[in-house]
Amino acid sequence: MFTYLTRRLIQGVIVLLAVSFVCFIIFRYMGDPVISMAGQYATAAERDEIRKIFGLDQPPYVQYWRFLTNALHGNFGISYETRLPALGLILERIPASAELAVSAMVFAFTVGVGLGVLVSVNPQAWLSRAIMAGSLGGISIPTFLIGILLIMVFAVQLGILPPFGRGETVKLGDWWSTNFLSLDGLEHLVLPAFTLGMYQLAVLLRLTRSGMREVLTTEYIKTAWAKGLSPARVVFKHALRNVMIPVITVAGLQFGDLIAFSLVTETIFQWPGLGNLLLTSLYESDQPVIVTYISLVAVFILTINIVVDSLYALLNPKIRYG
Amino acid sequence: MRTKTLISCIGLILALSGGLFAIQPACAAPSLVVAVESAPKSMNPHSENGDATLGPMTNIFDGLMQRQKTDGKIVPALAEKYEHPDPLTWKFYLRKGVKFHNGNPFTAADVKYTFERLTNPEVSQFVNDGKAIASIETPDDHTVIVKTKDPIPWFIDNMHQVFIMDKESSESRSEGEIGVAPIGTGAYKLTEYVKGSHMKLEANPNYWEGAPSIKNVEMKFIIEPSTRFAALASGQTELINGVPVEMIDKVKENKNLDVMRRPARRAIFLVVTNRPGTPTADPRVRKAMYMAINEDEIIQKLMRGQATAASQMVDPATVGYNPDIKRLAYNLQEAKKLLKEAGLEKGFEITLAGPNDRYVMDKQICEAVAKYLAKVGIKVNLDVKPKSIYFTEVMENKHDFYMMGWFDGTYSGARTFFRHLHTIDKNAGYGDWNGSRSSDKDIDQVLEKTSQIVDKTQYVKTLQEANKMAMERVRVIPLHYQMDLYAVAKKNGLQFTPRPDQWFVFKDMSKK
Repeated sequence: MFTYLTRRLIQGVIVLLAVSFVCFIIFRYMGDPVISMAGQYATAAERDEIRKIFGLDQPPYVQYWRFLTNALHGNFGISYETRLPALGLILERIPASAELAVSAMVFAFTVGVGLGVLVSVNPQAWLSRAIMAGSLGGISIPTFLIGILLIMVFAVQLGILPPFGRGETVKLGDWWSTNFLSLDGLEHLVLPAFTLGMYQLAVLLRLTRSGMREVLTTEYIKTAWAKGLSPARVVFKHALRNVMIPVITVAGLQFGDLIAFSLVTETIFQWPGLGNLLLTSLYESDQPVIVTYISLVAVFILTINIVVDSLYALLNPKIRYG
Repeated sequence: MRTKTLISCIGLILALSGGLFAIQPACAAPSLVVAVESAPKSMNPHSENGDATLGPMTNIFDGLMQRQKTDGKIVPALAEKYEHPDPLTWKFYLRKGVKFHNGNPFTAADVKYTFERLTNPEVSQFVNDGKAIASIETPDDHTVIVKTKDPIPWFIDNMHQVFIMDKESSESRSEGEIGVAPIGTGAYKLTEYVKGSHMKLEANPNYWEGAPSIKNVEMKFIIEPSTRFAALASGQTELINGVPVEMIDKVKENKNLDVMRRPARRAIFLVVTNRPGTPTADPRVRKAMYMAINEDEIIQKLMRGQATAASQMVDPATVGYNPDIKRLAYNLQEAKKLLKEAGLEKGFEITLAGPNDRYVMDKQICEAVAKYLAKVGIKVNLDVKPKSIYFTEVMENKHDFYMMGWFDGTYSGARTFFRHLHTIDKNAGYGDWNGSRSSDKDIDQVLEKTSQIVDKTQYVKTLQEANKMAMERVRVIPLHYQMDLYAVAKKNGLQFTPRPDQWFVFKDMSKK
């Protein structure tokens, strides 16, 4: 177990190095950040001075090495655009994105699994067929279109939900602000969470349905019915529980994506989260923010993977890692 | 993002919806919510020499001068008056009794501190302006004498956007704090700022011009055009800027909204090289290209009428604009004749470079130009790419024929001409944006002459002369001025006049 963990950690470090290096190299070809840093009125001499101050006059490998050593000390550099620490810019966006992702996930999971069960119990019903057709839409309609349609109907025409932003937030401690504790904040969450969760909902629905359809035909379910158990008990206790394992695995995988790349939804709803920050930084070639962001996401995903792999080993003694 | 697709989708949807209206909360004290298309980079007033930051900052800070709302004329603000005794000296007499938001009195020391701060590229994009200063003297608390290293005729034209900071609080606070909690002398105090989301302002009761009439303002930053429009249509905001031209007809159909237009200061033009050895070295060829482009059609078809034709590379508000310069008319016969005279009746091949995410319809305009020039036998290869890469290439002199949009925040044509038209001279800092490496000694001479002129009338005349020479020799092919488009909710009686600089200056707004 110990050797396995060490090996995974070393692998993780190598992946991280590769990711940050690739980011670094790519942004060499994304235009010269100095032009926008210096402003349109700067002269060549002034641009050179800025290049020097930010160390951009040095060869890429020197810049990369400096980034690495600084990063190990927790210093990820200063954003070229806002001139504030890149790490701080990213951290302060986490509450917005995390709350949006959690809301979207809760919504997608409860509704998706619930509808999945409903559909699998009465597969021939008119309503079930409509839901299944709708779920195809959920998978295939692009997020931006769903977002705009929702804004059009609920914000512009009906005027019952706000079309953008986080609204009123409540501060919890020093650096977490939450939408969950005020009515205004909750109202602002509805449309973006629905938009972001739509695709996941459709996936979970279809996954639950196919799992349930399979389990419901097995012998032990027939036995349960024959025993005269109540339908709720058969469906939820005996069938659903066995279907949940793959559903939860998929939901977990999707959750990482929701936090890291909710770019489109956050842009449409002007949600002040991570996706929004990433997009703005890409437009502005704000390299420190982009590289830090992508490295952090890599760390996040690697950690999840290592934890999951270790849990497997703990939970299932039959699995041996040599 | 597929913004274009987004816009057309919402446009279509709104056309179908007919724009019903939402209920708006009634408000007691006059307050205002606006949504803008770009977010300020920081609350540090020198962090960006561009309107996205300067616009919001002008409400919190004051410059020594300010711009009148209608015509952009420069008038006194923190300085009551100024003198310009010789080409290098600027003497400012400061207003007395002005206080910063934290209660500190405004004095000459603050002006000196601000000017010195400009030179630090880590906190300022006004390095160019800061470094031009040779010395700052403060004989008493309300007089500042600035001497510049070289004559800078446009020094005063910049003073409305160099915002004066409080020396004491700026020195005692970290840059991180300055970047989120500004302290100025302006008509409004900042009460809340969430980066990339919104800022809230509260009227400064002790403002030296008197407290503004609108007491509370919220500025929301909504970059996505369709969302910004939805915010207006749903009554969440009362005023937006940056209405996309694709949506303009739909906005006009909505009875609850008013559209306000104002020709933008930014001129769009095509730079074409006169470097010897290139086909465009001959002025007749450049003139032929100019005459072969059907600008009226570009304005009607691509810009949907939301642009005005330009005859030069600066707008009427700019010092150096020459009303005598007229646009060359679209004339294919004449263009062909000129090409024939130049010995190029068979045409030639040229590459037109341009951005695809910077100006309104930039890529489409480049495509149209290629088609127009094909009619006179010029084969145009298009090289259109994202702005971050495109402008880098222009700076690296990679293109001989390229699209450019420009206006100068100081309203000075001189700086524009020196940057774009003057022969490249790295030591003097001339020709920095002369990406095509063009050169014309006559124009250089006239431009250099302007720096020595103190008399304002003579100065303007000389600049106009340089401008005229450049346009007669077709150093650039002017296309049009974009249109600034605003939409306002009618019901709250908001009094708002679009400014030439696109800023929202809330002290100039009121409600009926």
